[in-house]
Parts: sequence; C-alpha cells; structure tokens
Amino acid sequence: MDHDIQLKMSLPNIANIELVAVEALERMAQHLGINNEKIGDGRILVTEAVINALEHSGQKRPTVRVEFTMTKEKLAIFVRDYGKGFKPEEIEDPNINEKLSAVNKRGWGLKLMKSMSDDFLIESNQNGTKITIIKNLI
Amino acid sequence: MDQELKLTSELKNDCLVLTTSGYVNNSGGEKIAAEFNKHFSDGTKKIILNLADSKVVNSIGISFLIEIIEKLNESDGKLVFTNLDPAVEKTLTIMGLFNFAAKENSVEDALKFFEQ
Repeated sequence: MDHDIQLKMSLPNIANIELVAVEALERMAQHLGINNEKIGDGRILVTEAVINALEHSGQKRPTVRVEFTMTKEKLAIFVRDYGKGFKPEEIEDPNINEKLSAVNKRGWGLKLMKSMSDDFLIESNQNGTKITIIKNLI
Repeated sequence: MDQELKLTSELKNDCLVLTTSGYVNNSGGEKIAAEFNKHFSDGTKKIILNLADSKVVNSIGISFLIEIIEKLNESDGKLVFTNLDPAVEKTLTIMGLFNFAAKENSVEDALKFFEQ
C-alpha cells in the first residue's frame, strides 16, 4: 500500500475498550478523506473483531493487539489474541429463524465480519487467534 | 463518543417510540429491552426504535433486539427501525432482522406505517 498510515495498540479487557479502536480508526479515515459509509463499515468490523477476541480468547486477563494499516484505497485490520484458539470450521453461521426461538441469541460476530469485509482470514491455534480483515475503501 | 446509551421513550397514540443516543452494546441493548418490557406488559405492541444518534452498535446489543422481535412476533406486534446509519442498516440486514421487523426513514413514516 502506498502512503499508508499505521496504528498499533494493545487493548485490555475493560468495558467499551473497543471504542478506543473505533475512534482511532475514525481519526485515520478522516485524515485520509475516506467517505462516511466506508467509515461506518469499518466501525462495525473493528467493534466485532475486538469484542469477539476479548470474549472468546479464554484468557483470565485477555489482552488484544489491534493493528490498522490504511490507505485511501484499502483498510487492513489485524486483531490478535493470545487465548486458547478455536476451530473456525466448527463454527456454524447463525440463522435468524433459529435465533428467534433460541435461548442464546448471540454469536453473530464472525458472520458480520465475513459479510462486511472484502477479505477475511482466521488463523487460530493453541497459542491464540489472529483475524485479518480487508476492507476496500473505494 | 458517548459510551453510555441514553434512551428516551414516548407513547404516541398506541405506539411506543424509543429513541437512542450512543453505543448499542450489551448494557445499551439491555436498557432498550427493559424499557420495551415495561410497556409490552401493559399491552403496547407497536414499537418504533429511532437509532438516529447511534452510529455504533455491536451484535451483543442487537441480540437484545432479537428478543424484542421474538416477543412481538408471538403477540402480533411489530418493531419498526428508523433513521438508520447505513452501516447499522447493513448490520441488521446481514443478521436477517428485516425478515421480521420493518424499517422506515423517519419516526413520522413509522407512525404512518402503523396507521395503515
């Protein structure tokens, strides 16, 4: 990516910490003149990636590393946790018809990230999980 | 960015208009559901949720809205979302909420929807 700007941060598990990442993303996007609709998608992607990592890492004191690389054309989001990992192929896509009558109505994070991104990759093992999200900005 | 969701509610005719400001997260979703439940138990089944000032939502917060839709479905009621930010609308679409809830551009349009 030409003329990219990068930001790295380490987020502890405290209430609404994902908003720190969202605000950083908004600031970077405004600097590059990214349109509001794409910024909106970025907000949702970052929010879901961070809360998913903090909630499912399985660590006693989870910490999530977040990295953004942004150009006018593309946003890359990397979210890394150091938890127990999981098998992405074992996670079924949630379905609203089933969720309506289910006790547990949660579990939408991966589906949202997959659907809203242009490229989405999960790498997970017993040492943690890294999620890579690519969003085209033009 | 406001972290704490602010919620106002108003009864217009037989419709409950809930207006949010801020982040619809776990506690925000819970707050919306609690206000809904208060009115639902009194028989209100026409609900308008104005999200004009909520540009950030998460799926945990939205899962509380699925609970609301479930209760309304079972009782011939309806939830209408209004003033949606495009990314929030996309989120609700991906989750399939518009198969069971409606969306309108404004609260006024939602009130007309219920008059039909």
